[in-house]
Amino acid sequence: MMRIIIAGFGTVGQGLAETLHKKSNLLSSGHDPVRIVAAFDSKSFAIDTDGLDPMGLVTRKANTGSVGTKKLIDGTDVLDSVEYDVLIEASPTNIETGGAGLRHIEHALSRGKDVITVNKGPLALKFKELSRLAEKNKSSILYEGTVGGAMPIINLCRENLQGERVRSIRGIFNGTCNFILSRMDNGSPFEQTLKEAQQLGYAETDPRYDIEGIDTACKVVILANSIFKRNVKFSDVSITGITSVSTEAIALANDHDMVIRLIGEVSDTVLDVSPRLIPKGHPLSVSGTLNTAQILTDLAGPITISGKGAGRIETASAILSDLMTLMGRRR
Amino acid sequence: MIVNADVFVKDMPGQLVGSLEPISLVNGNIVGVVHNRDNKISGRIGVNITFEVGSAEDLERLKEIWEKRDVMISRMSSVTETFPTDCLLIGDISPSQIDKLMAKAAKAIDMRSVDIRYSSKTGEEKSAAMVSVSVRSKEDVLKFNAFMMSACKRSNITYIGSVR
Repeated sequence: MMRIIIAGFGTVGQGLAETLHKKSNLLSSGHDPVRIVAAFDSKSFAIDTDGLDPMGLVTRKANTGSVGTKKLIDGTDVLDSVEYDVLIEASPTNIETGGAGLRHIEHALSRGKDVITVNKGPLALKFKELSRLAEKNKSSILYEGTVGGAMPIINLCRENLQGERVRSIRGIFNGTCNFILSRMDNGSPFEQTLKEAQQLGYAETDPRYDIEGIDTACKVVILANSIFKRNVKFSDVSITGITSVSTEAIALANDHDMVIRLIGEVSDTVLDVSPRLIPKGHPLSVSGTLNTAQILTDLAGPITISGKGAGRIETASAILSDLMTLMGRRR
Repeated sequence: MIVNADVFVKDMPGQLVGSLEPISLVNGNIVGVVHNRDNKISGRIGVNITFEVGSAEDLERLKEIWEKRDVMISRMSSVTETFPTDCLLIGDISPSQIDKLMAKAAKAIDMRSVDIRYSSKTGEEKSAAMVSVSVRSKEDVLKFNAFMMSACKRSNITYIGSVR
């Protein structure tokens, strides 16, 4: 039996519950069955040691705005009140303090529980500390969903490219910025395109997290620490967002057969987020909300991967991958 | 170093190969060969060869081998490979400001060519300028990018470098 707690029941948490329901056969075949023993959002929680119905949680959230019927005081109280094996941390990212997500993760790891997080804030601020805490308590912290959504970049580098020396990774890690810049390729002004992105649900009401490069910088920090074994924090990243990119600049780039894309780049010495000129036809010149990464390796040369960088089910697929990794380790 | 040479070889079978083989003997690499049968002087035909050698010493060894094999050198010049790079600048910029910036860059970096295109400023949008240069080495590309990035930061200009 794999007992999980879902912390955060917004878009991703609900997508995860739906995915666990949809994949229940896969999860039970050859593995211990997965049981959600608790779930909580910012206001409420639900607990059942016999297992909560995933779709029941989604329905209650849709109908009442809350995942549970009991009032939440502190998420760590829920973690202390039920036996579990894995905490899945999906609460909103807070890049200034790490927010409640950081406290949840520290609480779980310090008690020897495994953690899967899609919350970037805690990792961007305290990657090394959390890794050491996991090591000290013989637990695991997995975070495939924090970078590139469904694009399996961390596991690809760590597992499939084990024999390679990864020289650098550069890529498009924010679908909102890529949507805006690729719409601007056709002459649409920045402000108008941003409004369109908000109307389509690609950008938040407060879009600064995306367009100022903060989201991409968090991902660059996670890649630097996990793939390059560096010890860096969010504040170490050189960040330039896309707010100053004008239609005039896009037109000039177009005259030279190039596009402008927000690129995150990481290597042993580089930690950068900035708009870059990309030749048309280059693997990083993609349009729309796709995430794309180019991994430069010593033997295989450049390897390019692409996938949906956000979305409830896409992110849930990355969580599922981490969950199955943990299940494999328990066998 | 990359070298371009005009040589004359006897118009006999095997002579062309005999002129190219020594390039491999000095660990060189042939980039291109143009065999011009119309350019014939005193029973010899002209061959234009572009090749890369590791050092001036290797080039001297090659010349000695060619001399021994009766390959006549009529012209030899070094050809420098150039490395292009582009950057886009956005902000309150004027052509005279960019000219001054490029003059400073030219003092620090050996630039083979410079091309600057300006946007036509419209409305309240900031100006933009595309700077395309060719430099002599990959190191100079890095030096140029670092110079421009630093200069733009000081002047509150947005610098957009290129990925190639």
